[in-house]
Amino acid sequence: IARISDEFWFDPVEKGLALRSVNSSRSAYACVFFSSMFFQHYCWAAVSQPCQKEKQFSLPCKLIIKSVLPVFRCVNVLERNVEKCSIYTNINDHHITFQLLCKHGVVKTYNLMFQDCDPLQAVFAKHLCPNILKVHSRLLAEIMIHFPTSQEEVTLSVTPMKVCFKSYTEEDTDFSKTMLTEIQLNPEEFDYFQVGVDSEVTFCLKELRGLLAFSEATSVPVSIHFDVSGKPIAFSIEDMVLEANFILATLSDVEKERASQQAPESSKTRTGKSDKTSVDRENSGAVASKKPQWNSNTAPAKPASPLAKREIKDIPRAVKREVTGTEETAVTEAEERAALGEAAGAQYQKFHSLFFGAVSCQKDAPSHSFHSLATASDTEEDFGNAQSSPVL
Amino acid sequence: MRFRAKIVDLACLNHFSRVINTIAKLAKTCTLRLTVGKLYFILSDKVANGGVTMWCELCQGNFFDEFQMEGVAAEHNEIYLELVPDNLSRALKTAQSAKAVKIKLTNKHCPCLRVAVELPSLSSSSRIVTHDIPVGIIPRKLWNDFREPSVPDFDVIEANLSGEMNLKIETDLVSVTTHFKDLGNPVWASEDGYQSSAQDRDLESMAEARIDIKKLQQLLAGQQVNPTKALCNIVSKRIVHFILLHEDVSLQYYIPALA
Repeated sequence: IARISDEFWFDPVEKGLALRSVNSSRSAYACVFFSSMFFQHYCWAAVSQPCQKEKQFSLPCKLIIKSVLPVFRCVNVLERNVEKCSIYTNINDHHITFQLLCKHGVVKTYNLMFQDCDPLQAVFAKHLCPNILKVHSRLLAEIMIHFPTSQEEVTLSVTPMKVCFKSYTEEDTDFSKTMLTEIQLNPEEFDYFQVGVDSEVTFCLKELRGLLAFSEATSVPVSIHFDVSGKPIAFSIEDMVLEANFILATLSDVEKERASQQAPESSKTRTGKSDKTSVDRENSGAVASKKPQWNSNTAPAKPASPLAKREIKDIPRAVKREVTGTEETAVTEAEERAALGEAAGAQYQKFHSLFFGAVSCQKDAPSHSFHSLATASDTEEDFGNAQSSPVL
Repeated sequence: MRFRAKIVDLACLNHFSRVINTIAKLAKTCTLRLTVGKLYFILSDKVANGGVTMWCELCQGNFFDEFQMEGVAAEHNEIYLELVPDNLSRALKTAQSAKAVKIKLTNKHCPCLRVAVELPSLSSSSRIVTHDIPVGIIPRKLWNDFREPSVPDFDVIEANLSGEMNLKIETDLVSVTTHFKDLGNPVWASEDGYQSSAQDRDLESMAEARIDIKKLQQLLAGQQVNPTKALCNIVSKRIVHFILLHEDVSLQYYIPALA
């Protein structure tokens, strides 16, 4: 998860512990869920906050990854010395304690402060994806190794007859300076191969490498769910006691075309994966740069408002759905909390943008949340957010 | 202009990869010269290289199972390409277990060397990994820049003709000297068959040249092919010339002396 962001959500629920993270441009989301059976002893109690009328079923908090990593550094050393690891939370003091009970009576205790935050959960219906590939993690690693570590984006192209991973190129790529790599595979190499629609999706390889490393360690097959370009792609692994999902935004072809019709942007920065470049683009005044924008619509497209309303009603049910670990990861959105009357800060806007379209923009922040609830009008200036309209 | 080549033998492929890796460590960009029988990797002395020159010659027959080349014109049956050897090195890195590697000169968006690696897979058809390495075509009028450097009339082999060599490092605080004895002093036959005037020289007097140690380190550290013979020639205070010989590869490297 550290490859996605500097912080992560530590989210214990009744059935297990979920660790989640989302990157700054809201185009990559990861969730690793450890069922209670993964732990030797799992104890979780619902806590009702005094300020709220209804019981809060989860205790979400945010931790800085850099603070937690050292605790679990050096797996080899850990395996040899640590006999037990205890993790417990202290809400009043706002900290989480990681305690490593090691050999020879040595006890290492790490108290880490956490930040209160609002829940972060992805809305993505995996089972509705027309294309599903299942492959052994070893094979996926063998494929990705051919790309240089500096390769940011990779395009996955499928037809019922073949599968191809290639370096991403766009119209103004300087071919005389870049080395391009392409790997062609036979569908037979996959444990499960279903291609409902020919598609070509481009996603960020860098963010995926975290999952690749994790899956190689667990040697569980990796499932890839995706649709056409523009819709998110999900990489997941699942076994008896844990489930990991990495959902990445993919480049939208539609935006690519529209973008090339726009006035060329002066800045030649890459598509905004980081907050910095996206802010730069917006700040320079142009609606959309020549570069295509990242879009992470979920499938299928439906009018915004009726669905959004439905979502609100679904809160409690949805939470349970996720907890029982079914394949469907469609769960509530942070916006529901906004609807419940909690303070709507800039934070909510950020959560939305993964599922509602283009890279978030601080300038648009105030109106953003309403935009995603309403049926969007495809006006020129809202180009970036227009893609948000087909919500869920 | 056409070029296609294929390597099928794993040992040849590994050997070729190692040579490429060595070149990649010595030069960021270099020239690849293709002739009917040989491949040359050339780095000509420009200020950008720090005055260093490199000339590496390979016999294609020792590496490739198939090798077809058509140069720019019938009477100039050669191809000169400018490329980044590290790209080639990377392309071959993951070809350790390949069934075959094909290299072809193509021109899709721009001139490229297309390296197609056929890898074994679990299914009936192989996995194919293609790398398109951009290259620059060097026009014929610049070919003269890339001639084999003529071996200068050197004084003696690193130190003196009695087979002694000293490698000295000096800093403000310390000076370290390594003495080598009993090295061979092969007789060098010059191009027109005339024996060099080595006999006229004083056997004991030392010839010396001061070179940038980083460049020497680059040469030595980058070696991935163990040479069967290594030679070093010095032109006193001017240039040091290293020749590393292997059965099918020869690598020459010139390092100019510092003032």
